[in-house]
Amino acid sequence: MTVELTSDVPGCEAHVASQVIAAIAVRAATGTSGVIRLEPGLVGLVGSLVRTARGQLTRVDPAPTDGVRVTGDQNGLRIEVDLVTSGQDQVAAVAGRVQRAVARSVHDATGLPVAEVTVSVLDVELSR
Amino acid sequence: MAVNQTTEGYELPCGRDVETVWARLDETDAHQRDCPHCTAARQSLLVLRSLTEVMTADESAPSPGLTGRIMSAVRAEVRRGDLVELPSAEPGGARISEAAIAAVLRFAADQVPGVRARRCRIHAIEDDPGAIEVRMTIAVSYRHFAGALDRIRERIEAAATGRIGVRLARLDLTVDDVYQP
Repeated sequence: MTVELTSDVPGCEAHVASQVIAAIAVRAATGTSGVIRLEPGLVGLVGSLVRTARGQLTRVDPAPTDGVRVTGDQNGLRIEVDLVTSGQDQVAAVAGRVQRAVARSVHDATGLPVAEVTVSVLDVELSR
Repeated sequence: MAVNQTTEGYELPCGRDVETVWARLDETDAHQRDCPHCTAARQSLLVLRSLTEVMTADESAPSPGLTGRIMSAVRAEVRRGDLVELPSAEPGGARISEAAIAAVLRFAADQVPGVRARRCRIHAIEDDPGAIEVRMTIAVSYRHFAGALDRIRERIEAAATGRIGVRLARLDLTVDDVYQP
């Protein structure tokens, strides 16, 4: 999936792939205090392994997109984030911080409006 | 109706087909060296050959962490099925898996002296987002039996609101064993 970006240059169109938006969201989420890691499901893991293999062939190190799914279009992106939080922080507070950080980072980087960010906390690490 | 032969070679604008370029990939003739079409096709075929050689030669075993990543993905897939709404002011909402809530509440109960948490079941209340019902079974030591249930109730209620951010609407505790000391 690609999303069209707003362009001020006549005769020029710009698009961004959903995995680019996912990579921006991953970076914002993992940088949020209280987040231990993002948690890909089976589909996400397969996609990650394919990207890694392709990266080895083309000798690039792809930015991680695991644990984030992006849908929607240029009128409003819908982003889903699956993650694991630290037991030291209140889960609801961490989830709220991730929602705000992801929406802000994606909008700042692409200019696209973010309609909603859904955070699913799949585990809490109590040993930390 | 004419049907194209699928085995027919792909002909370049110069008249030479790609099969011939492929056959002379390492031994180019005079035409292939000067022709821009043959040169472009040869470059693409060289890239294709190098990629397939890399894939064929790759005999590396799965990394030690791969099994762990697969198991983690399977657990995540299971946990995604049972999610409880968390209070959130942001569009899109936030949720937490029942298994994660159970782990936090069992850990809280274990912090009470003389108490060992066992099974813990979580149920979201449909009409009351952010509220949960909890059923937990525990084992308690003889020495700490008196007053243990009240202390557990306090700890679990504090953990539900403080650690997770959900409201404990109901807590059913069952002491199904006692141990020494």
